[in-house]
Amino acid sequence: MIKEQKPTVFVVDDDAAVRDSLRLLLKSVGLPVEVFESGQDFLDAERDDRPGCLVLDIRMPGMSGLELQVKLNERHSILPIIFITGHGDVPMAVEAMQAGAVDFIQKPFRDQDLLDRINQALEKDAGSRRMLAERNMIRKRLESLTPREREVLDLVVAGKANKVIAGDLNLSQRTVEIHRARVMEKMEAHSLAHLVRMVLEVERPDE
Amino acid sequence: MASKHTQAARGAAARQARSRQGLEYRAVLDAAVDAIIVIDHVGTIQEFSQAAQRTFGYAPEEIIGRNVNELMPEPYRREHDGYLHRYMGSRDPHIIGIGREVRARRKDGSLFPCDLAVGQVRGIEPPRFIGFIRDITARKEAEEQLRRSEAELRLAQELANLGNYVMHVGGDTSDYFSPQLHRILGVQPGETVARDEFVGRWVHPSDRKRVVVEFARMEAGKSALDIEYQVVLRDGTGKHLHHLSQAVFGPDGRVQKYVGTIHDITDRRRAEDEARVLQERLTHFSRLSTMGEMAAGLAHEINQPLSAIATYAQACQRLLRQPEPAVDDVVAALEQVNAQALRAGEVIRRLRNFVKNREVKREPVNCARLLEDLRTLAETDARLHNIRLRLDCQEPLPTVYADPIQLQQVILNLVRNAIDAMLDAPEDRREVVLMTRELADGEVEVTVADHGTGLAPEATEHLFNPFFTTKASGTGLGLAISRSIVRAHGGRLWHTPNDDCGVRFHFTLPVSPAVTTGE
Repeated sequence: MIKEQKPTVFVVDDDAAVRDSLRLLLKSVGLPVEVFESGQDFLDAERDDRPGCLVLDIRMPGMSGLELQVKLNERHSILPIIFITGHGDVPMAVEAMQAGAVDFIQKPFRDQDLLDRINQALEKDAGSRRMLAERNMIRKRLESLTPREREVLDLVVAGKANKVIAGDLNLSQRTVEIHRARVMEKMEAHSLAHLVRMVLEVERPDE
Repeated sequence: MASKHTQAARGAAARQARSRQGLEYRAVLDAAVDAIIVIDHVGTIQEFSQAAQRTFGYAPEEIIGRNVNELMPEPYRREHDGYLHRYMGSRDPHIIGIGREVRARRKDGSLFPCDLAVGQVRGIEPPRFIGFIRDITARKEAEEQLRRSEAELRLAQELANLGNYVMHVGGDTSDYFSPQLHRILGVQPGETVARDEFVGRWVHPSDRKRVVVEFARMEAGKSALDIEYQVVLRDGTGKHLHHLSQAVFGPDGRVQKYVGTIHDITDRRRAEDEARVLQERLTHFSRLSTMGEMAAGLAHEINQPLSAIATYAQACQRLLRQPEPAVDDVVAALEQVNAQALRAGEVIRRLRNFVKNREVKREPVNCARLLEDLRTLAETDARLHNIRLRLDCQEPLPTVYADPIQLQQVILNLVRNAIDAMLDAPEDRREVVLMTRELADGEVEVTVADHGTGLAPEATEHLFNPFFTTKASGTGLGLAISRSIVRAHGGRLWHTPNDDCGVRFHFTLPVSPAVTTGE
C-alpha cells in the first residue's frame, strides 16, 4: 500500500487579505493550507505532487488563474481546481470549467459553500490518486509476468479457452493451465472477471 | 472885431472839433470787430462799417441808401419796416438795448447766425439806430459740435452700458453722474450717491472688504482703481459692475476729485456664469462616464475587501466555537476585518469625491501625491484588464495651483484611454507608465505612456473634437474636456508617439507661485 498523506489546500490569490482570510478559515476547520501570491510562485514551489486541491483566483496581474490552469494541465497535474471569481467573470469561469476545473465560486462567498466545494475536490483528488495507485500496482504486477505468461494473459483476456490458447501458442493444454495459474497468482486475481477488469483498467485507450 | 474875431476863432475851433469827432467816429466804425450799421428811422442804411462790408460782402456804395431789411431773411425782411413804424409810434422798445441772436443775409444770399445789438442815437429827431452785428457762425458750429459729441457720448455709453462720473472731495463744486450712470444705478437724473453710502450700503457685503481696500489704495495714490464687484440697487436688483477710477490730486497732495467709469457687466457675467455652469455640467458628465467605464474595476476593488471581511468573520466564528479557541488568531482576524472595512471605505470615499458634483476649487497641488492618491482608482481598472500601472515621479516636485479632482479626471481619462489601447497587447507590453517631472520653464509635466496600438492618422486629426471617439461605448468627450480643463489651468495637452510603440499623452501645468507662510 502507498503511504497515506494528509491533503493540503493550496491557495493562490494576489490579494493579501483574501489570501490570509482563506488561510485562517481553512486552518479553523483543521485543513492544512499553503498560500501563494502568484501563479509563478505556486509553480516554483516544491510540492512533490502532494494530494489536495487548488483554490485559485481567476484574475491576477501577471499570470492569470486561467494561464496557471493551462500550465498545470501541460504538466499533467491532476490537482482539482476551484476558481474564485468576482462579479461579471462568468465567461472566464465557463472557460475554466471547459479546461477541467472542478468548480468555481463567486466572491464574497459563504464559508460553508467553499468548504463543501473543497471537500468535494479533495474527495475527487483522493479518488483520482487511489485510481492512479491501483493502476500503478496493476502495472507492477503485469511487469512481473514472463513474456510467455503475458501472451497467455492477453489471450485469456481476449476470452479464449485454454484449448484454443494451447493451439495458438503451440503448447500443451497442461502447460497453458500452469501459466494461467501463475498469472492469476502474480496478478492477485480473485476470479477471471477480476483479472479482466484489472487489465482493462490500465489499458484503456484514454490513459 | 475882436469878438467877431474871437467868434470866428471859436467857430473854427468848433468846426475843427467836429471834424476831429467825425474822424474819430469813422475810425471807431472801421476798427470795430463787429459789423456796425447805422440806419435812419425808416430803415435806410446810412453807415456801413468795414467789418460790415466784410461780413455781408457789400461795398458801401452798393448798400448805403438801401433798406436794411435787405440784410435779413424772410419773414423779418418783410416785417422790418412794420417794426420801425410801430416803434416810431409807441416808442416801446422790443430790441433796442436788449440784443438777440438772429440770422442775417449776405449779398450772395447765404444766411449766417449772428448776435445783434441795437442802440438808438439820442437827442436827434427823427432818431437813428446803430446795429452791432457779430458773426457767430464759428461759435454756433462749436456749440453744435459739442452737442453732437455729447449726444454721441451718451449713445455710446448707453450702448456700452457704461456710465462716468466726477466726484469732488469737499468744496462746493457739484458732482457729476452721466445719464447712463443714473440708469445703471437706478437713481434720478441729477442725483448722485455719496461714496460712503455707495460702499457701505450698495456694494454687496461679500465684496465690500475688497472694495474698501482698493478704494484706499487709490486714495493713497498707490494705484488706479480697477475692480469688479456686485451691488444691490435700491429696488433690490443685483448688478455686476466693473469700476475704473482715478484720484486727481491737488497741489497740496490731497485728493481733489475722483474721475471714473462704471461699466454694467451684469449681462456678460450672467452669460459667463451660464457658460461656466454648462461647462461644469459637461465636465461632471464626462467624469461620470469615465467612472462608468471603470465601474467593473471598482466593483472588483470593493469586492476584494468585502470578501476578505466575510471570510475572516466566518473563520472567527469557527475558531470561537472550538473548545479552546485560538484567541490570537481571532484578534489578528478582527484587526484585518477592521483594516479591510477601511480599505473598502477608502475606495468608496475616493469614488464619491471623484464623481461628486462640486464647486471647482483650486489649491496648491503636489502632482506626485495626486498620482499616488489616484493610484487606487487607476490601478483597479488596470488590474482588471491585466495591465500594470507604473508610477515614475520626480521628487521633490514643485506644487501647481489646480483643482485636484479635475486633474485626477484628466489623468484618469488618459489612463483609461491607455488601457483601452492595450487590450490586445502581448503580456510583456501591458504596462501604463505615469510620469511627472519639472520642466525648465516653470511648468510641471505629467505624461501617460502606453504601448498600445497607437493612433491612426485620421484619429489624430479629430482627437480633441467633442464627440469624436474610436470606442464603441465612448462619449467622445474625454479628451475634449481634458484639454479644456488643462487650458483653464494655463497648461497644454498634446501627444507624441511612444518610443517603440503606442502613444504618450503629455500635459503641463504652471508651477504655482511660491507660497509664503506665516504672513
